[in-house]
Formats: sequence, C-alpha cells, structure tokens
Amino acid sequence: MTATEVVFYIIAFFMIAAGLGVVLFRNIVHAALALIMALAAVAGVYVILSVEFLALAQLVIYGAAVIMLVLFALMLTRSRERPQAVFGKNRPFAVAVAGGLLAAFIGGIVATEWTQPARDDIEPVPFQEIGDVLFSVWAVPFEVVSVVLLIALAGAILLSLPDDEEER
Amino acid sequence: MPPLENVLVVSAILFSIGVMGVLTRRNAVAILMSVELMLNAVSINLVAFAVYGRIPFGNFTGIIFAFFVVVIAAAEVALALGVVVRLYRSRATVNVDEVNLLKW
Repeated sequence: MTATEVVFYIIAFFMIAAGLGVVLFRNIVHAALALIMALAAVAGVYVILSVEFLALAQLVIYGAAVIMLVLFALMLTRSRERPQAVFGKNRPFAVAVAGGLLAAFIGGIVATEWTQPARDDIEPVPFQEIGDVLFSVWAVPFEVVSVVLLIALAGAILLSLPDDEEER
Repeated sequence: MPPLENVLVVSAILFSIGVMGVLTRRNAVAILMSVELMLNAVSINLVAFAVYGRIPFGNFTGIIFAFFVVVIAAAEVALALGVVVRLYRSRATVNVDEVNLLKW
C-alpha cells in the first residue's frame, strides 16, 4: 500500500463521516458545516486522482459559494417557534432503501472484472490540456451551460423578489 | 493510486448516504444538501473512470462532465433556494411534508 493510498483512505473516512453528519445531525446548521467538510474531502479525492483543476473548482464553487447560499437559506427560513421532528416518519424505510442500494452497488462493483492497467505513474492532468479540450471539443456544451447558469440566476432573483401586494 | 474498485465503493457509500438523507429529512434545505452529496458521489465516479481509463491523446470526457455537474449544481442550488425562500414566505414552513396543497 503506497502513501497515496493511505491518504486516500483517510480522506474517504472523513468524507463518509462528514456525509453521515450531513444526514444525521439534528441541528441543521451543524449538518451544513459537515457538508463543507464532505465537499472539501471530495476535493481531496480529486487531488488524489490527479485532477487539481477540478479540486480547485470544487473548493471555490461548492465549498464557498454553494455553502454560503445554503447557510443564507437556513438563516432566512429558520422557524424557532416550536421544537419539531427533524426526520420524517418513513425513516426505517429510507434506511432499508439506502442499504439495499448500497448492497446492489457494491455487489455490482465487486462482480465486475475491471480491465484496469496498473497505473502508479499517473501524472497530474495539466490545466492547459483541460482548457484546450473544454474550448474546442466541448465549446458548444460550455456555452449552453453558461446560458443555463445565467437563466437560473436570473430566475432565482425573480423568485425571491417580493410580490407587489405582500410585505412591501 | 488506490484501485478503481475502492474509489467506486467510496462513491457508492456517499451516494447511499445522500439517498438516505433525501428520504429521511423533512427540511427542504437539508434535502438539498443531501442531493449535493449524491451529485458529488457521481462526480467522483466520472472522474475516476476518466483518470483510470485515460488514453494518451487525452480523453477528458469524464473530467469535463464533472465540471459541468459542478456548474449545473450551482444553478440548481440557486434556483432551489429561491423556491425555498418563496415557500417559507407563503407557508411559513420549509418542511416538505407540511406543504401538501396539491395532495388530496
């Protein structure tokens, strides 16, 4: 087992622990903070897989922007009048579904014969190559995604504007 | 590099945790956070397949897809949180099982 593998397993442990925290913490702000840790651990997995560009994008977009939006939404929608159940009534059902799904996934992964070359020599994926591919082969999807993002942000602003007749 | 199977198993565990969160949580924002977990698990899968199956002339499809997933997730979070704020303003709750206007 190489040092990279050890680091990967440590990161994976933290990622899964933080993911369980997101799902199980009763205080939802704590869950959001656990989500930061889970997303940072995913960025760490990207670094292990030698895709530094994606790790940076993950940290900047997810770790900062998305978390900030989630925390703001939590602050805006906190209802403190009464203590209330955090989890729905169908919890055993949900655990069964998630466990069954996990068993199916792991069964499939183990049963498959992966024709995987022994690759200890992976060099970091260079930023320049990603940029070249992104703006040549994937140029049209890139532009479409930009437009989607723009429309979504405009729609979000429109959605959260107050109506004329209410609370102005 | 860890073996491909282990990366896939880790992402499968993360995805299942996300599914559990989506099914158990009542708060709409918490459901959204669980969806983020699921999206990240899928992204790990895409990146793992892209990196382990990389051919010499550069096949970055999985990496580019993961990049698009990040962008789409940002758009999705912005829209969904707009809807949640809207919902809170009109119903004073963000618990999805109390928003049953369409249920008969």
